[in-house]
Order: sequence, then C-alpha cells, then structure tokens
Amino acid sequence: MDFALSEEQEMFRGYLRKYLDDAGQTKVAREFIKGEMHALKNSLAGLAELGCTGINISERYGGLGLGALDLVPVFEEIGRALLPGVYLETMALVVPLLEKYGSEEQKEKYLSEIASGSKNVTLAWAEPRKSYNPDEIACFAREEEGALVIDGMKSLVPDGELADTYLLLVRTSEGTGGDGLSLVLIDGTDDIEMRTQKCVDETKHLAEMTFREVKVSKRQLLGSINHGWSILQEGLLYLNAALSSIMVGGMEKIVEMSTEYAKIREQFGQPIGRFQAIKHRIVDMKLELETARSLSYYANWSLESEEKDRKAAIFSARAFTTEAYIRVASHNIQIHGGIGFTEEMDCQLYLKRARYFENYLGSTSHYNEQIALAMGW
Amino acid sequence: MDFTITKREEDFRQELRAWLEENLPDGWLEGNRELPKEKDKYSEFLRNWQNTLYEGGWTAIAWPKKYGGRDATLMEEIIYHQEMVRVQAPPLVNYIGIHMVGPTLIQNGTEEQKEQYIKKILTGEQVWCQGYSEPNAGSDLAAIQSSAVRDGDRWILNGQKVWTSFGHLADRCFLLARTSHNSEKKHKGITAFLLDMNQSGVETKPIVQMDGRQEFNEVYLTDAVAYDSEIVGDVDEGWRVMIALMLHERTGIGAEMFTLEKQFNDMVEMAKEFRVNDKPLLKDPFVRQKMADFYARSRGSLLNYYRNLTNTLKRGKPGPESSIDKLLVSELTKEMAGFIMSIQGHNGVLWKEDAPVDTYWQDNFLGSFGQTIGGGTSEVQRNTIGERVLGLPKDMGR
Repeated sequence: MDFALSEEQEMFRGYLRKYLDDAGQTKVAREFIKGEMHALKNSLAGLAELGCTGINISERYGGLGLGALDLVPVFEEIGRALLPGVYLETMALVVPLLEKYGSEEQKEKYLSEIASGSKNVTLAWAEPRKSYNPDEIACFAREEEGALVIDGMKSLVPDGELADTYLLLVRTSEGTGGDGLSLVLIDGTDDIEMRTQKCVDETKHLAEMTFREVKVSKRQLLGSINHGWSILQEGLLYLNAALSSIMVGGMEKIVEMSTEYAKIREQFGQPIGRFQAIKHRIVDMKLELETARSLSYYANWSLESEEKDRKAAIFSARAFTTEAYIRVASHNIQIHGGIGFTEEMDCQLYLKRARYFENYLGSTSHYNEQIALAMGW
Repeated sequence: MDFTITKREEDFRQELRAWLEENLPDGWLEGNRELPKEKDKYSEFLRNWQNTLYEGGWTAIAWPKKYGGRDATLMEEIIYHQEMVRVQAPPLVNYIGIHMVGPTLIQNGTEEQKEQYIKKILTGEQVWCQGYSEPNAGSDLAAIQSSAVRDGDRWILNGQKVWTSFGHLADRCFLLARTSHNSEKKHKGITAFLLDMNQSGVETKPIVQMDGRQEFNEVYLTDAVAYDSEIVGDVDEGWRVMIALMLHERTGIGAEMFTLEKQFNDMVEMAKEFRVNDKPLLKDPFVRQKMADFYARSRGSLLNYYRNLTNTLKRGKPGPESSIDKLLVSELTKEMAGFIMSIQGHNGVLWKEDAPVDTYWQDNFLGSFGQTIGGGTSEVQRNTIGERVLGLPKDMGR
C-alpha cells in the first residue's frame, strides 16, 4: 500500500509553491481582473521555465514524457493561486488527444510549441444559450476543395483571448447524438470575430466567437471526420481528473485561510477557533478537502494506469469535488464574518471560481449519471 | 502510488480464506448466520468461535509469536479485516481483550499478570470488558467518580459504570477508578484495575439498545474487591495506561470501512432487485443520483483511509488523522442506512420477520446511531481533528 504522491512529485510541488508565492499568489489573478496582463504573462513564462508545460508531452517533441500523476502538483498549485489561463485545457485535453489522435504534422506543429510554453490551446464547445448536449451543436463545417468552411457561433470559450489555437467542436454532417460531429484545430485569425463575455468569476475571460465562412485545411481535423464526439469524451476523462486536482488546490487554500483566521480573530475575548460552532465547521471543511483529495489522486492514478474502474473514479472525483468546493468556499465566507463578504478578501474569488467550475463541461447531475452508467447500473 | 499487494500478502489472504471456508460455523457461508438468542447459549457460541480461531492461529494475529500471535504486519491485519467482513464472520467476543488489554499487558504488565491472563485472552476462556464510562463521565472521562480505597493488601471499589460492551458476558474488566482526590489535574489520581467480574460486589444489568440488542450494560460496584496484583502500571497513573491501551488499536476503523464498502455493494444489489411501480429502484432517477453520490463519498472515505494508512506505514504509528476516518465512516454509515430505509418506501418501516427485503437494513439503520456515539462521539472527534490536525485552540473549559 502506497497511496501518496512520490517524493519527487512533492518536491516539485515545493518549487512551484515557492514560485507562485513569490509572484504574490492571488495577486496575479487580481491584476488580471483589472486588465493588467503583465503579472500573468510572467508567471506563465516562469511555469514553462520550470518545465510545467512539457510534463505529459513525449520526449521527441521536447516534453518529459510523464503522466497524469506528475501533473497533479501543478494543477493543485495553480488551483491554489487561482491562476488564470488555459493551462488546464491545453495540458489536460489537447495534449493527450494530440498524442493519441494527432497526425504527425499536427504533433510537430503543436506539441513542441506547447512544450516550450509558446502555444496555448482552448476548447470551443458550447454555443449561445445551448447546453453541452451534442444534438444542440449547430456550428457547421462544410467540405469544399480539401478545406472546411465554418459557419456558426461558440460561447463560453475559456479565456479565448489568451489562446492561440482553438479545439472546435463542429457539425460536419447531420446526425443524432454524437454522430456527425468533428474536432478541428483552428489557429486564431482575423477572420474569427471574438467578444469577451462578462463572467461572475472575473478571473475568467470567456469568449463568444463568431465564424463566418472561415476556411481551414482538412488537415486540421483531429482524428477522423464525423468521429469527434467519442474523441472528446475520452479527452474529458483527462480534463476532469485534472480539474478535480485544480479544485483540491483551491479547497486546500480555503481550509488554511479559515484555520489561520480562526486562530487570530478574537471575539468575546477568545480566538473564534475555540468556539465549537466555528471549529466544527472548519473540521467539516477539512473532511471535504481530504475526501476530495483522495478521490482526485485515485482518479489520476487510475487514468495513468488504465484501471478498469477509471471512468467511475474520474466522474466521482469530478462530481464530489465540484460540490464540495462550493460548500467549503461558502463556509469560508461565513467564518470570516463581515470582512469575508468584501472584495478585499480572497474568500469571494474562490467562491466565484467554484461556481464557475460547477457547470463547466457538464453539471453534477450529469456526472452523477455518468457514474451510474460507468458502474453498469 | 501502488495498490498492489505482495505475493506474501496474497498467500496470507488465500490461507485465511481457505481456513474460513473450512472452519466457519455450519451453514454460515450459505447465509445461515442466526446467533443464539439466550444469553448462555450466545456466550457459548461466541466463545467456541473464538476458540476455533485460536486453534487455527487466527485470534491475535498482530501479537508477538512468543505470546501466541503471528507477528502480523499492518497489511496482513488489513487483509484479515477485509476477509472477516467479506464472510460476515461472527463477532469477536473478546475484542477488548485481544486488541487492547492483551497488548497492554504484554507491554506494561508484570510477569505474573502475563502468565495469568494472556493465554486465557487468546482462547476465549476469559472474556474482557472495559470499565471507563460512567453516568456523568462519558466524553469527559477524567470526571469519573468510582472510587477505590486501600484496605490492607486489598482495594475496595464502589461506584457505577455504564455502556460496558459485553459486560454481561465478561469475566474481567479493565477498569478505571479514582484512587486520589488530591491532585490538581483531575486525570491524575486514577488507577487501572484488572477487576474480577465474578464476585458478589459486581452486578451487571443489561441495557436494551434501540435496535433490540443487549450488548452493553450498567455495572454496579458495591464494595467490590481488587488486589495490588490486579493493578496495571502505578497507582494514580492509570490515565497513562489507558491512553497506551487505546493506541494499541493499530488498524483503527478498518473493519468499519470495509463494512461500509460491503453495505454499499449490498445496497446496489438491493436497488437492482427491489421494485417500485414494477421498475427496479436503481432505474429511478432520484435513487441513481443519490447512489452515485454515495459511491463517491464511500469510495472517498475508503481511499482516505488508505492514504492515512500509507502515512501510518511510513511513520510506524497512527496519527490523529485516524479521527478523520472514524468521523467519515460513522456519519456516512448512518446517512446511508437512513437512505436505504427511505427508498424502501412505506414498507421500509416494517421490521423483523415482516421487513420488506431483509431485516439487515432496518437493523443497520437503528444500529448506525451507535457508531457516531461509541468510541468517542462525532463532536469529540471534531475537537480532536480541530485541535490536533488543524492546530486550532483548545475548547473553552479545557
């Protein structure tokens, strides 16, 4: 029995934490909210220098050739610092799919640039006022002389303005369910209209993208045409395992914040952490954190070692952690009292991030149903 | 990370499994797990089962070989719990003797005490109970008032104990009594006695639990007698002995974790078979959602237990995180049992021979309330976690 990250992984976490602490932790996110990109660019460049952008990329494209578990410390630490950007989408969705389904040309074009930190890729899936249901994908790509011509709109694209390339889910033929959908890698061009959407979580600059007769080579299809849906489902396993780690990082920071505050804040002549009403609430937050962490470690381990129960493991980590993150973030505000309700404190940033993730690429009830299906119920 | 077990551990599992198949009471594996109702027959049945375990070398597996154990590793103990839960083995009547009193005597007892008690603990000849709690001293154990007063080479004990599990079947009691009122700190001045239960000064009265079982008791001490040879450690230093005794539980809440896992799996089977409006319960969208959530949480608790176990293996001893395991498993067991009752609909209130599926669920529901109280209430566990894991200040009044 050895259920822990390895010493190397913990040591790497130590470097990252120090690096992000030195950068001011949530200061980077706060400057981003004000529209100042400088701190974020520096931090992302620093993470690339530390090797974070090459962890799960093959050595032949300049990566380290490691796996999901080696990414865990990075995701936890950026979740802790609420670092903006599309590291999640790039590393936990696009990289594994490129490694598995990418053409040699695509791998050479994208993977080495991702590894060096000079390329960011995000996911363009949902459409205005639509759900994640595949039947609702209307953005269409028709074939024309070896090219695809795209027409339609995408919404809620994570940090569209920070990405250089988009993994686009488009309809390439009529069909129901996931039939007739394809994934296309499309590099940002002036042909694509982009508008930043206001988001409750202001550390996220979501984008609405409009495609009007945008032409892209068929060589940009990821995997074969009309089979994009099943590829995307596979990518979601990686993405959700990683997402649960990001949320664990945020939860860990929240429990620390609450604990520290309860030790120093005095009321009625006592530190408030002495009162069971406060103490027990923080303990309940700690239980949520540890359960989430255990589920997310196992999710990433089962993914890396291709265990039979990996779907149930990943979906349960995703579903539990999303809900738990919201609960602990809410408790944190209550424990901080009036000051916790202000913009000055970080409490609100974590709550908003938790709410952002709640329905990101699917709801809790959707993922609960996925658990049920994975269990064969 | 590594969840595989070694060849040696797998061999251990197979050896135990084969032995259980050979030696469990007749019909047990086929589902005939009825225990005798009448006290003496019940006691005899469980003592016989323990003696069978002893003869197979399967009672105190973690004890040193010298004292009749197997020197089992922590992982072997875990496997042992898993297998016992898997076959729903009869309860170990001398749980206190084997997991607590025996190891304490091996460590702190005199040669005479070892000679006199160890072997009998193993065979089930001498069943032990624990005399800690009192009507006014449960979670606040240092408030005990039962007294022991020296009288020549004897001690005279008076007072009342309560919640004494298996007290009605026990021959001996590991009992705490106040021997001095002079100390400034109230946990000083307490002494640990190895009290003989078979004497006229000791009277046990069973307490009927809300699930109908009679496992614990009130114990009345009226001029009960103990001798110097029946004191463990030093006079007035019983608190330390008691703490050491509690730390002998190496695998902690393991058996309850595996029981929770089994109950979850049984719940799924029930929901597949139990039909409402001619449809299996498991196809009901509400039930599926809740069950998926229970899957995540019970799986999470078990994985958390494994993560703490990994720490225990690395450090060589358990830490205060074990309170996290206790809190998670007991609260979840209670919630899950309540859920199972509720999804059985209005038939869920039927009990005993009229229970809609199996009285197992109704029994579990009622029994689950004991788990969040016994062995330290959930509130006490939260204090321990808050203070010892998170470093929050101590409660007021302590």
